[in-house]
Amino acid sequence: MNNGFSIIGKRTALVDAAEKTTGAGKYTDDLSVSGMLTGKILHSPYPHARIRSIDTSRAEQLDGVVTVAIGKDAPNPFGILPVGHDEHALAVDKVRYVGDNVACVVAVSEAIAEKALELIDVDYEVLPAYFDPEESMKAQADFIHENKPGNIEKDYHHVFGDPGKGFSDANQIAEARFIAGEVTHAAMEPHSTLASFELDPHTGKMGRLTVWSSTQVPYYLQHKLSLVLEMPMQQIRVIKPLVGGGFGGKSEVIPLEIIAAVAARKARAPVKITYTREEVFWAHRGRPRTIVDLKTGVKNDGRITAVKARVVQDGGGYCSYGVVTILYSGALLGALYDIPNIQYDGYRVLTNKPACGAMRGHGTVNVRFAFESQLDELAAKIAMDPAEVRRRNLLMPPCITVNGLRVQSYGLPECIEKTVERSGWKQRKGKLPRGRGLGIACSHYVSGAANSIIRSDMPHSTVNIKIDRDGGVVVYTGASEIGQGSDTMVAQIAAEVLGCSLGRVRVIAADTDLTPIDLGSYSSRVTFMNGNATLRAADEVKKLIAAAAAKKMNCAPEELIFRHDVVKKRDTQAGRDGTGATQEGPSVSGRVEGQILRGSLQQKRKEEGPKDWMSFEEAVVAAIDFHGALTGTGSYAPPPEARGGKHKGGGVGPSPAYSYSAQVAEVSVDEETGEVTVHKVWAAHDCGRALNPVSVEGQIIGSVWMGMGQALAEEMVWKDGMLMNPGLLEYRSPSSIESPEVEPIIVESVDPEGPFGAKECSEGSLAATIPAIANAIYDAVGVRLHESPFTPERVLAALRAKKKEKALNLTEGVDPTDPVRFREHGGSLCFKSRGPQRHALDPAHRQAPASAGGAD
Amino acid sequence: MSLPEFRLLRPHAVEEAVMMLERHAGNIRVLAGGTDLIPSMRQKLFEPPYVVDLRGIAELRGIRRQSDGGVEIGALSPLSTIERSVYLREHFPVLTEAAGTVASPVIRNMGTIGGNICLDTRCLWYNQSLAWRKGCGFCIKKDGDLCHVAPGGLKCWAAFSGDTPPALLCLDAEIEIASINGTRRMPLREFYTGDGIIYRKLQSNELVTRVFLPAESAGYRGVYRKLRVRGSIDYPLAGVAIAMKRSNGHVSEAHIAITAVNPAPLLVKGASELLAGKMVDEALAEAVGDIAARTAKPLTTSALTPEYRREMIRVFTKRAILAAAQN
Amino acid sequence: MKKELVELKVNGRDHELAIEPSALLLDVLRQDLQLTGSKRGCDDSSCGACTVLIDGVAMLSCTLLAASCEGQEITTIEGVSEHGSLAAIQKAYGDWGGAQCGYCTPGFVMTVKSLLAENPDPTEEDVRQALSSNLCRCTGYNQMYEAIRAAVAAEREGIAAAK
Repeated sequence: MNNGFSIIGKRTALVDAAEKTTGAGKYTDDLSVSGMLTGKILHSPYPHARIRSIDTSRAEQLDGVVTVAIGKDAPNPFGILPVGHDEHALAVDKVRYVGDNVACVVAVSEAIAEKALELIDVDYEVLPAYFDPEESMKAQADFIHENKPGNIEKDYHHVFGDPGKGFSDANQIAEARFIAGEVTHAAMEPHSTLASFELDPHTGKMGRLTVWSSTQVPYYLQHKLSLVLEMPMQQIRVIKPLVGGGFGGKSEVIPLEIIAAVAARKARAPVKITYTREEVFWAHRGRPRTIVDLKTGVKNDGRITAVKARVVQDGGGYCSYGVVTILYSGALLGALYDIPNIQYDGYRVLTNKPACGAMRGHGTVNVRFAFESQLDELAAKIAMDPAEVRRRNLLMPPCITVNGLRVQSYGLPECIEKTVERSGWKQRKGKLPRGRGLGIACSHYVSGAANSIIRSDMPHSTVNIKIDRDGGVVVYTGASEIGQGSDTMVAQIAAEVLGCSLGRVRVIAADTDLTPIDLGSYSSRVTFMNGNATLRAADEVKKLIAAAAAKKMNCAPEELIFRHDVVKKRDTQAGRDGTGATQEGPSVSGRVEGQILRGSLQQKRKEEGPKDWMSFEEAVVAAIDFHGALTGTGSYAPPPEARGGKHKGGGVGPSPAYSYSAQVAEVSVDEETGEVTVHKVWAAHDCGRALNPVSVEGQIIGSVWMGMGQALAEEMVWKDGMLMNPGLLEYRSPSSIESPEVEPIIVESVDPEGPFGAKECSEGSLAATIPAIANAIYDAVGVRLHESPFTPERVLAALRAKKKEKALNLTEGVDPTDPVRFREHGGSLCFKSRGPQRHALDPAHRQAPASAGGAD
Repeated sequence: MSLPEFRLLRPHAVEEAVMMLERHAGNIRVLAGGTDLIPSMRQKLFEPPYVVDLRGIAELRGIRRQSDGGVEIGALSPLSTIERSVYLREHFPVLTEAAGTVASPVIRNMGTIGGNICLDTRCLWYNQSLAWRKGCGFCIKKDGDLCHVAPGGLKCWAAFSGDTPPALLCLDAEIEIASINGTRRMPLREFYTGDGIIYRKLQSNELVTRVFLPAESAGYRGVYRKLRVRGSIDYPLAGVAIAMKRSNGHVSEAHIAITAVNPAPLLVKGASELLAGKMVDEALAEAVGDIAARTAKPLTTSALTPEYRREMIRVFTKRAILAAAQN
Repeated sequence: MKKELVELKVNGRDHELAIEPSALLLDVLRQDLQLTGSKRGCDDSSCGACTVLIDGVAMLSCTLLAASCEGQEITTIEGVSEHGSLAAIQKAYGDWGGAQCGYCTPGFVMTVKSLLAENPDPTEEDVRQALSSNLCRCTGYNQMYEAIRAAVAAEREGIAAAK
């Protein structure tokens, strides 16, 4: 597994592990600066309303309140996509979901700020609201955004090949509606932002802004802050402290990040805002509820002839990443299997709910659930083993798919082979006792988007490296560590290239003043793109060192080998045992040992004469003496060949490389209760090359686990725009009890363009888990669920329907095997009958003399 | 979310505590383990001027065997203590099993048996933040005048969601209630009203201080079955407790109680009679399951549909009976 | 509300603090004592990120009033590192991938610490049950089991973290 590397491929603790296990590491909410105030946001109680007026005077009079910011304090719109600048820091004219941001109180304490929220008087004109995307599309008036008629954010209609002919060539066709419930990231750290202005020494006024924020995209944040605050980007510094998980939920600019800055400007003091868990659910940006109408045709030999998908996403009140999500849903029908004919119709629809955005496996997950389930149904129709039908449809890379995606490395065949082998598929499939079953499914994902959100020619990642006379290697990277291990990846690549110990490398990351621009941690781009940039920067520095060292050693630079903190001539014995002086110490103490060694070695050297090896530090000192500063820079932009087709929307989906996953899930189903237990998942993932197997395995397990959560329990439950479960008690992220054993199987296809051959490993596995479980449930008890999550009531309803037992309305009229619409929570809001008057009972109003006694 | 302001009273004896309750009756909430009250106060469901913290009252902790074979449990005993009590496990297994399913291990270190008995009724329209509740126009249980789960009704259907009370009901437990007027004992089955708002018969100056398990209830086989989505953390979505005595393979006495599907934990009427004197078999267990399901009146107060939860009362009752007859 | 003086003993040190009666232990630790290792992840006592030990028993600091903890030994994550080096469980969590984003990690470490104090050689099932008090969104818990196994083995062999 080591492949001749000294750092790459080794099981390594994260470079920031100790900070995390001791509690010493600082996340944004752990920070404080002097004079810091607390911000609290007032949220809309209505799903759709016009704001007639806001009166903040009562709130401002409360002792301890410094200021109250409202929409007109920062009216410029923003949004993560250039085509979707439809959000405001605080509502300017309209609110579009229950929880939308209306005003922000800045006060000396959280308690006072919360009290002040109750004293803000907002006069709303309530508008008709839309909660179901298919209903929303029928709207004739009162659109959620005036410029989006029919409440359609964006629709795309793609045809590749000849789907009509494909279907007529098919021996078997399956067609069905699949519905996937809405899920959210629920990262353990609630979003937090601290914004602080400096006073400018020249003007004496508020000048530079520093923002510490729990973000996956510090540079986008800097850009959007600049737009909304009308400040030049160079006056804004964004620092990303430790981030407690992202999964996409922090991959765009979340309202509180702008609000904190706006509030700090108005309060003339540093302001920190940390979301409550409920606010995290309202900020959301998770995976939308999705309707997938899918039709697939196969020949009797298992070959897929055509796929037709109509996808409707319940996008919520703002665009967010929506245009990208709906495009990924179509584009990633390709690049997993060889599909000659594809028709795709995608509709991203606005509804009066929190905006959906990017979540782990962005865009592909729900369609993959539908596709892999349907492929299983078709396998049954042609009496073929489900693993075999997948093998019959493999791509033959290098190739370009029918929808313009370039595939080079392709470990899917090996993934299928290994999961089938490890799970005992051949011996056990179909032979387990009743109620227990196996299911297989595959998935894939991009290693970064080949085209950036903001079209430009700039590199997607740039990394600088500085080495000083102390022999310490400092890597400046814009990559955002969010728990996935990006700092460690960067340190490993730099250390491998420079042949130094990991402990010598210090990573400075994600600080817009210090680190060169990087697009951020999303779409699994960091290892591939920032890794390549790191590799190039390290190579550049290495060349400088080699040039100087070669001079000292009277050889050509190409003859030098950098390894184990030693620079030596090829085929030379170096150090005590030929491998390097610090061979035993590539540990965290290497730096200290290095310095001690340097002194003694230098002394020794004076006596010894001709050199055929140098310590890393000697070489560094020689290089600095020779060149002056020892710095290197490297950047990465995806090659033009990888940037996809020319069709409208063709920019989303292309990636320099794709990861592949195949999984087998083993489940049992309690036929009396409908409860599903996942016993084990075998998950093979082609990550190109595992730079740090501990991390790769952790990412595979984590993806599978999150997929399992979506498959079985996690679901945002709605009633007329009210989120019924905005907390970790009722939004059921799995506990250790029901979390299965996951056996991660690393497959290394060694991508020709990845850093040391590496591709992504953090998202691709998620999508396969849901259909693998669905297929296993079918294998166990013979019911085919077309609606996720597979909660016990849905499974039981399906079982009852199959057995034609006494019909019980277990799922509120939605048949989980043939769903036609989204299910809503069964309660009643009496919106229509009571309208705004339901607020007459608001305690805040009751306290006001004008409405004492209640108008109701 | 911060807690509302209050004055904190920290008595060290029951007499002290009840005097405080008397003095501030109506303006005071009782804090024991805090696992129910503290989150609710964050959500501004309670904004009492005074909070009386019972943690300092040592006399209310501990499990004591009575000379007659019964057991006295101090109301402040943590659920984890009950769960791990070897004596209770041997003689009153339904209680240890139910206690061991409450929420999560850490919550059980904090939550008390008294708190579990006095647990506020729960509903998705009620256990929400102030901001959220504004969005739904409030509900009949708090700040509003309508019920979202039974529109038009004036009764609150919030579900009692404690795990140990159904076990205690099966054991015919009594509770001791203290006030400045002294103490009184009440069978637990008389404690709950069946209404979601005023869900228990406890005056504002009273405190639940002890739980008594009668000697006659010792030695019953016991089983508790709980419906939840996760294997930990969750409140029950339905729960069934059974205590059963057998002789010569026949049921001599059995009690079944259900929770989380009504505003009160309820003994299933008719179950004891149906089981008494019989050999347990699948058909009998199913018949009792039917009665239990008829006793359950769940509404859309929680996740999963009421129809499903009622079905699970049927299934879990059947299973609990079969399990109790087997072990 | 007027602040009141309380004395808290945290990680073996006594602190006299003026706090509001309604102050939660978590907030006092984080804001008054700058012990920010204990985290807030939820508002409904469900996530366990704030777990501390009160007289050796794992409890949620977000659900305790600080004033109620007077006279008790409070141990936070900051009190776990022994003699300036990582405790075996901390080292193992790093080595085995038990921590990814790290936000839930302090809570898990406290939970595991209380588990191992009571039960130095837990079975897989014991561990699984104990960990069910805390939520993690990154790891799927699998690598934590390996970490705990490794820590138990390290403790048994008497080689905690290198000192």
